[in-house]
Amino acid sequence: MSLKRILILSAELVLLVLVFLLIVGPMMSLLLWSVAIRWYWPATLPQEVGLDYWRQALGLEKSLAIGAVSIVPAFLLSLSIAVTVVAITMLLAIPAGYALAKYRIPFGPAILFLFLMPNAFPQQPIFVNLLGLFTRLRLAGTVPGVMLTHILVGLVFGVWITSATFRAIPSHLEEAARSVGASRARAFFRITLPLAAPGLLSSAVFVFITSLDEFTGTFFIGLPFVNTLPMTLYSSSGYNMQFASVIAIILLVPSILFMTLIQRMLRAEYVGGMG
Amino acid sequence: MPELPARRGPRLAPRFPPWLFLLLPALSFMLLMYGYPFVRSFVQSFLDAAGRFTLANYAKTWDLYLKDLGFTFAVTAFSTLLTAVLAILLAMYLRFRDGPLARLMGGLYRLPIFIPFVVVAQMMNTFLAPHGLFNLALARVGLVNIEKPLQLFNFWGLSFGFIWKMVPFSVLIIHGGFQMIDNSYIEAARSAGARTGTVITRILMPMSRSSILVALVLVYSQVVGTFTLPYMLIGGKIPTTITVDIAHRVNYFRDFGVANTLGVFSYLLVLVTAIYYLRSSVRRVTEEGAGPR
Repeated sequence: MSLKRILILSAELVLLVLVFLLIVGPMMSLLLWSVAIRWYWPATLPQEVGLDYWRQALGLEKSLAIGAVSIVPAFLLSLSIAVTVVAITMLLAIPAGYALAKYRIPFGPAILFLFLMPNAFPQQPIFVNLLGLFTRLRLAGTVPGVMLTHILVGLVFGVWITSATFRAIPSHLEEAARSVGASRARAFFRITLPLAAPGLLSSAVFVFITSLDEFTGTFFIGLPFVNTLPMTLYSSSGYNMQFASVIAIILLVPSILFMTLIQRMLRAEYVGGMG
Repeated sequence: MPELPARRGPRLAPRFPPWLFLLLPALSFMLLMYGYPFVRSFVQSFLDAAGRFTLANYAKTWDLYLKDLGFTFAVTAFSTLLTAVLAILLAMYLRFRDGPLARLMGGLYRLPIFIPFVVVAQMMNTFLAPHGLFNLALARVGLVNIEKPLQLFNFWGLSFGFIWKMVPFSVLIIHGGFQMIDNSYIEAARSAGARTGTVITRILMPMSRSSILVALVLVYSQVVGTFTLPYMLIGGKIPTTITVDIAHRVNYFRDFGVANTLGVFSYLLVLVTAIYYLRSSVRRVTEEGAGPR
């Protein structure tokens, strides 16, 4: 091996280690803070570690520290919101995705335009105006109001992933079923739907995760009455670094878990607005 | 060939076509929950609290928030450009290198894509703090004086957070574009005597121009619209991003006029990228039958 080659290889290794540290560093920092009981400046690492803050967060231990409340209620609230949001969003998204995939629709581009706009423009002004609207409808600060904003955020993913799924299923399968006498609905439920199931499932997972992680819409519509998990993280981050870090990790785990599960379905176009 | 009985059968002419029936719930939801608020943000920006036409909101925004508008644009432009450069380099590395190290990187780099901004914000809050791991590590290797840690809850920390979150996402798109280029092009160029540099500038970059552009556009428009990260990292300090200003206008003053004016400015900031994105996506969907990006 020539000297030049060794130099290039070690340069590559150094660069890789740097990139690795930059990616993993912030995650390590979160992990360290979540178990740090004593971490006085300027020690590089915490002087005392333990799971005290985890126990407090999970409601196994009471604490009087500011910002430390059991996150179990917030977790259950987030979970029930996410499940409801997934059900309603998919009910809206599956027919719409099917229509966009299988029919020639007049004004098609205009309709596509509407469904693409949330990806192209900042969404915050939308929530600001929904707040005005929801205040009049007495939906501001309520769980249904928050759910509506989550459905809005999730619907775009839902419609695009389902329509891509339906588009990938050849139309002649459904036509063959209909040629032997199946009705349109029967052909859909017996042929297309089972074939589309994996795609629809991953679209539901996307909607679930977006709802679980949703911040901006909940911030405007839900606060101070609807305290989802991200809201609890936000309100404790100013007071209690350890507690906020515990919640952050709890929020991070399902996202990474679900997304690695549907790794195969992972396409750049779908993750555009993640988080 | 058998005829399709369902099409011939005696059937009532439907009052409206089936696609409309299928599309109507989602479409009306979007019109009500997205279309209406979108239009309303323009209308409200020209109205005062009593609902009369005024330009005062624009005058006030210009007076108070010009600096923040500049700051928002600067952070966005800087993060987007640096993200593009880093993402292209990383995508090239993944395209040309093989072996366990490259494969490990290929799996690892994706992690930040899935991490929501609220978690990224908390990460950066701990990582970039004056007493945070970043400063401590730099002090350990002697790059920073521990008594004078880097203050990063500003332009630099915010950009770091955005880049950390956006590079992996861009690599995903750009590497996808690089993968579509057949190896035979590269081999042909190589056998004609082209060096790696030439292969990159003459083949790889031009042929994946559209995926690089899409990555740039998506990163840019997302960074302009992100509220969580600047809100939790910088908050009300001056200068801050306009997304934070919008939240302050609404939460502290209930001033929807100026909030919506700032909203209109945030639309204007992404106008070019939005038009590019919408045009190319509608074309992709209607002509090629592919999904949008």
